[in-house]
Amino acid sequence: MSDLVRFEGCQIRLSDSYSLKNLTFAIEPHQHWLLVGANGSGKSALAAVLGGIGELVCGETLSVAHVKLVSFETQKALIESERQLDDSDLTDEISIGTTVAELLAECDQARAEDLLLRLGFEGKFERGFRQLSTGETRKVLLVQAICSDPELLVLDEPYEGLDAGSCAALENILVEVANHRPVVLIVNRLSEIPGWITHSAVMSDSEISYAGPIDWQVIEQIMQLQSAPNAIPRAEQADRVPTLPPGPLVKMKQVRVAYGDEVIFSGLNWSVEPQQHWQVVGPNGSGKTCLLNLISGDHPQCYVNDVFVVGYQRGQGESIWDIKQHMGYVSSHLQMEYRVSINLQNVILSGFYDSIGLYEQATDDQIAVAKQWLSLLGLSARHDQPFNQCSYGEQKMLLIARAMVKHPQLLILDEPCLGLDEINRQLVLVLVEKICLSGETTVLYVNHHAEDKIKSIENVLDMAAFR
Amino acid sequence: MANYFNSLSLREQLDQLGKCDFMQPDEFADGANYLKGKKLVVVGCGAQGLNQGLNLRDSGLDVSYTLRAAAIEEKRQSWKNATDNGFTVGTYQELIPTADLVLNLTPDKQHSAVVNEIVPLMKQDSCLAYSHGFNIVEEGMQVRDDITVIMVAPKCPGTEVREEYKRGFGVPTLIAVHEDNDPRGEGLAIAKAYAAGTGGHKAGVLMSSFIAEVKSDLMGEQTILCGMLQTGSLLCFDKMIEKGLEPGYAAKLIQYGWETITEALKYGGVTNMLDRLSNPAKIQAFDLAEELKGIMRPLYQKHMDDIMSGHFSQTMMEDWANDDKNLLNWRKETGETAFETTAAGDVEISEQEYFDHGILMVAMVKAGVELAYETMVSAGIKEESAYYESLHETPLIANTIARKKLFEMNNTISDTAEYGCYLYNHACLPLLQDFMKKIDTDVIGRGLGLNDHGVDNQRLIEVNDQLRAHSVENIGQTLRGYMGAMKKIV
Repeated sequence: MSDLVRFEGCQIRLSDSYSLKNLTFAIEPHQHWLLVGANGSGKSALAAVLGGIGELVCGETLSVAHVKLVSFETQKALIESERQLDDSDLTDEISIGTTVAELLAECDQARAEDLLLRLGFEGKFERGFRQLSTGETRKVLLVQAICSDPELLVLDEPYEGLDAGSCAALENILVEVANHRPVVLIVNRLSEIPGWITHSAVMSDSEISYAGPIDWQVIEQIMQLQSAPNAIPRAEQADRVPTLPPGPLVKMKQVRVAYGDEVIFSGLNWSVEPQQHWQVVGPNGSGKTCLLNLISGDHPQCYVNDVFVVGYQRGQGESIWDIKQHMGYVSSHLQMEYRVSINLQNVILSGFYDSIGLYEQATDDQIAVAKQWLSLLGLSARHDQPFNQCSYGEQKMLLIARAMVKHPQLLILDEPCLGLDEINRQLVLVLVEKICLSGETTVLYVNHHAEDKIKSIENVLDMAAFR
Repeated sequence: MANYFNSLSLREQLDQLGKCDFMQPDEFADGANYLKGKKLVVVGCGAQGLNQGLNLRDSGLDVSYTLRAAAIEEKRQSWKNATDNGFTVGTYQELIPTADLVLNLTPDKQHSAVVNEIVPLMKQDSCLAYSHGFNIVEEGMQVRDDITVIMVAPKCPGTEVREEYKRGFGVPTLIAVHEDNDPRGEGLAIAKAYAAGTGGHKAGVLMSSFIAEVKSDLMGEQTILCGMLQTGSLLCFDKMIEKGLEPGYAAKLIQYGWETITEALKYGGVTNMLDRLSNPAKIQAFDLAEELKGIMRPLYQKHMDDIMSGHFSQTMMEDWANDDKNLLNWRKETGETAFETTAAGDVEISEQEYFDHGILMVAMVKAGVELAYETMVSAGIKEESAYYESLHETPLIANTIARKKLFEMNNTISDTAEYGCYLYNHACLPLLQDFMKKIDTDVIGRGLGLNDHGVDNQRLIEVNDQLRAHSVENIGQTLRGYMGAMKKIV
């Protein structure tokens, strides 16, 4: 079937300083799309572009003639133009501007009246649009858009500004609309996502990071994370882990790692201050993982180097458990090593004790925190199922939760997105971003892919410099 | 040197054999502190040496390695193991005199030579630790009077000792103090700190004696652990090939089957392992195991008798003196068996299928565990020791087979275990020849057919009762209960 809308490698300029980039996706008839993304990610801009706004800088587009967009922007624009039409000051006659009836003139009148009635908008057809409340203007615009029978209906936060009764009515109306018209929808709340949505596009940093059939569970998780300010479950109440003295979390001097005569890297000086998030980059074999393992205590050559980590100069009688209690760690290697018979909840609980498997009796408080994490990952119902029966992506998400559960001083993420599908990658990136912004945890991050960059991580250590 | 065990009176022998007490976790409250700041020098850097040293260092202890000058000069593997891991390495002359605790983690057969060489270099009032009591008990090594002699024996291969530590757990560990060498009465404190440094205290520590450790360890490793699993692997594989099963499937069923079925053993003993089978299959496995026990009992008794009398160690030491000719030949033969040379196929075998298609393997494990246990207990070894050296360790060796098959399993285990495995395998293969002739694919490879699914209620009740009434099940429940208190949530 031919596409209604298609973008291929498009850059579309919306203002002097704002463009959407790398747009590649298509909407087919009978698809209903949900646009998801954090505030400022560009989802409203994409809705506007679908509505025909913006200037094509490069790439190819195809779009049907009749698209109707309802958004705060279109509402504001209409109100603004009405204000300008008001020439009362000049004529000294009171003008009410365009009336509701006039606005709906091109619609099927009976249908428009019926819809407005259902939305609790009665007998105000002769009133001027300017005289309506925000919610009322919104209703009129929605009805106008629906009744004009567009080939594609784009609704940017249609429920915003509507009271509860009207929301419920709109929900029902949209079910009917979606029966014969494709709809693109942006909503702010999880509960507002209608069941008839078939596809989703995730926006981040003015680009589409995922577009395809909707994965309900992951979309819900992403929306939950993005919408809640305190989306990350709290730390446990007990102060089991001693407080660190102020100063750098990591300090390395002239560090060298070699196997026999083969030097992996040498001459590395590095220091990580609290709240200074780092991305470690470098080609394969440049020793990125090796470096992180020197910090976590998993690399034996930490004992022959000048390595200071979380308050300990290594090799002075400290145990690795003294070190690990301040850290969370995720890597593919850990995932491979994590082959013990254990259920999902206990995987998360094991993060409190830095163990693979759980060998201590977790406290009720720890269990409560673990349950919050499971709920965040959408895995609550499966809390007692075996870890080894989870998908690779689910395992990785659980291990990230395990690393985060104690709100460590230092979070080491060695290619956390490796092996994840696109949508889960988005979820991880959103989660890591939240963690970076939490103010408690310093993140060290290894990643090969430029597209998995995390905004809050500003410092970069390039291992290629120490070959 | 005379066999130490044989030099004791019967009363002393029974007393030493009967030592084995599970230590309470609170006895390890100080962790490895007793050894903090002391100098630990490990002799030998093989699997046990390297991995124990890594654990001890990660527990905050000062560990270095001493090797023979030649090993250092030639940069042998042991030297590489130690230096690549960032350890200080020195000759005996350089490091032994600085040590507060010398950990002798060389292979058993080098013990006499090594100990004779290092003891004169050891400082006054220091401590010598073994991981296995063979040298003291079987070879009768006498150590200088001022030196404390202890044993810390993790009940797992070295790689497992490390893996479990990294997981934040440990492996069950047996400790002992050689009463003839505890001049300052600090042997127990050192042994406890050493065990804690390797992570053993988290998984459970047994206070034993050198003698109980040696006699039970030798018995377990050569019969059920290595001997039975090796013999069973070869017999079961050959049977499946004879009956036309796809070799890749057969190899996989064996290689991973032991691990899967003994995982059930680890959690709930022989009972749980058989409970994983359907009722008809359970009765089959039970009957096969009874028959196997009848056939193999004299063999187990012979192994135990030879261990107790010192005949086994004497024979082995003679082969050592003969450059391991017999053993090395056999090791080579193992590498060339059909099972060993057939790669596990790419077929999916579900966890349950390993049980359903491996009824004979279940029967072999049951028979071997119970026979080894019964024979040890009847020889005066305490139930706890007998349990650990039979049932408890079976999943560990099964795991090694899953990862490395037989040839490498034999490389990984101790010299004594391999030698014992060699003796057992030689005797057991012909012993089971007639038994195997009757075996068909219903009990190994294909599972029971539809016609085999009738069960007599009365018989099932009898089988279930007998399973649960065995002494290894009772002691197992108690010991797993202790472990469970620590490893409650696995």
